[in-house]
Amino acid sequence: MNLFEVTDSDRKSQYRNMSEVLEACRIQDLSSSTNLKASRIRSLLNAYRLSKAYEPDSKVAYVVEQFPNELVYALGMIPWNIESMAILLAQHGCADSFINLTQQNNVSRDICSFLRGSLGVIMANCYPNPDIVLANDQPCDCLSKLANITSKNYRSPFFSISTPTELNEDTLDYLAGQQRRLMKDMAAALNMEFNEADLDRTVGHSNEAREYYCKTLELLRDYRLPGVAREMLEIFGMNAFGIPENVQLCKTLYQEALEMSKKPENKRSGKRVLWAGQAPDGSHEIMQYVEKEVEVIFWAPLWNSNMMKLDPDDPYRSIAQRAIEYHWHMERFQANLAEVCDTYGIDGIVISNAWGCRNMLALSPMLREVCGEKKIKYLTINVDFMDRNNYAFNHVKNRIDAFLEILKQSHL
Amino acid sequence: MISVGIDIGSLSTKSAILKDKQEVIAYDVVYTGGNNRASAEITYRNVLEKAGLSEQDVDVVVTTGYGRENVPFSNKNASEIICHAKGMHFLNPEIRTILDIGGQDSKAIQIDENGGVVNFMMNDKCAAGCGKFLDIIARALNVKLEDLGELSREADTSARISSMCTVFAETEVVSLVAVGTPAPNIIRGVHDSIATRAVALLKSVGIQGPLGMSGGVAKNVGVISALEDILKQPVNVTSYPQVTGAIGAAFIA
Repeated sequence: MNLFEVTDSDRKSQYRNMSEVLEACRIQDLSSSTNLKASRIRSLLNAYRLSKAYEPDSKVAYVVEQFPNELVYALGMIPWNIESMAILLAQHGCADSFINLTQQNNVSRDICSFLRGSLGVIMANCYPNPDIVLANDQPCDCLSKLANITSKNYRSPFFSISTPTELNEDTLDYLAGQQRRLMKDMAAALNMEFNEADLDRTVGHSNEAREYYCKTLELLRDYRLPGVAREMLEIFGMNAFGIPENVQLCKTLYQEALEMSKKPENKRSGKRVLWAGQAPDGSHEIMQYVEKEVEVIFWAPLWNSNMMKLDPDDPYRSIAQRAIEYHWHMERFQANLAEVCDTYGIDGIVISNAWGCRNMLALSPMLREVCGEKKIKYLTINVDFMDRNNYAFNHVKNRIDAFLEILKQSHL
Repeated sequence: MISVGIDIGSLSTKSAILKDKQEVIAYDVVYTGGNNRASAEITYRNVLEKAGLSEQDVDVVVTTGYGRENVPFSNKNASEIICHAKGMHFLNPEIRTILDIGGQDSKAIQIDENGGVVNFMMNDKCAAGCGKFLDIIARALNVKLEDLGELSREADTSARISSMCTVFAETEVVSLVAVGTPAPNIIRGVHDSIATRAVALLKSVGIQGPLGMSGGVAKNVGVISALEDILKQPVNVTSYPQVTGAIGAAFIA
């Protein structure tokens, strides 16, 4: 039984629906709050990919967070991250009607708002209907379930990758084998041809972009580069590794970061805070409030898995390794957090728990454990950047004030 | 030097006067009500009167609490976390972990030997387990808030009360009354519920060294007793639990 019916599922109608939403919210500019050239390139690239996905002949693959999009690009498809798109709408204040729609359809308010927001956009028939729906169960198995529900409602083929938590030879073989089969199964389901050479080319683009990405992160260690950490987060979330446009994007960001690093005013100064967990857009009141006082960099783009280059001789195995590394494995996460704190000179950590995200709630005590060992100040906040029913700035502000004060408490 | 600390909380507004950051010479507590600026003015007047001082005698006024930015005569403001830490350190320098349960939030704070905050945690989405929770339960049982502690001593057992939601807990209490559960048993159950939640909060920040409790709920002997039962360690309550934050505010002036 379907939870809801997607009617008028031609992409023209869906494009019109989405355009109406964007227009109603007066979204003039999809870029973030930074003034970087890279941000403008990303904005254009996103707008292009977005509009392209609504074309009748485009092959659209719904994907979830950190899906190995190289596999999607190798088949000439457009990956459509169902969660990220909803977050983008929420960032621009468009989420209310979608959240209301889920409530009208009796979707529990206790479910993670990111999932409810995504479900709402799908219920409103604003996404282009997918040719295929792909899921992996890391880091969020709820997303995988959402993808499954979505495939049923669009009556699209659904493929799911099961990612092991432990990293060893057996698990690598297991996952790489699934990915090999997935390529064949996807091609067969869509009546397409798949050539390994296309994957090789995609892996090449992915690695080239990754090189600039890593070099930018190196600069971030020693310099305070306004907007760069935010842009790294956006590039991480966009997950366009595998297409040449992303190489250009990462290269531009690196060049801008390099130029900035030459200016004396961009030497590291002041307190640096690491944001762990879901982060709002740079224009969000919380971010603006915190960034007035301290420099914020984001943890997700700094995960080890983001530094990994793919092996051109064995792409499946290296994609598998990266996917396993993306799993929220407690010990690896703790080790990575400790390393990031040392490498990037972190003074404090904001642990942001999004409403209903059981993963993050389970992880938080382990992150605080690392903070305790490193003698780093931390702030745990419960927020909701999608559903405004679950969030009040004044409630969070009080906690942020205390955190900022203890970061500076030696002056009191 | 005369410094005044004013802690504008959700339920009550507290003030304290420190002389030379060494001696508490007066304190005052009023209900916050709907106008926290007015409550700050009232308690300021009250505390000055109690100390026999005038506004001209005051060197600095520091505000804290939810309404701290809404007081025109404030010279400085600081969050409750810093103020409770400093206040507790002033009142009992041995304390290294603080549990503060106020009207609508609760805090666990680890402090160092100078009263500096090492880390802290606050309650999350719901005020269950806070002063407001007790206030609502007292009303549901038709007893005075300040009598809850003593009444709980008369209990022969503890009624089980959920700590997840204040509204649901109130419904549970009403149901327990309806089936004839003695009020003291219900009250002890409520205290146990608060203590369980508070201990979880304390453990999330880590309990190190002697534990002290501040906030209005610290005046409730039933909650203290429930906490000590679970923690198997003494819970130190200072002479001025409800005005610890205000004292801390005056101290950081």
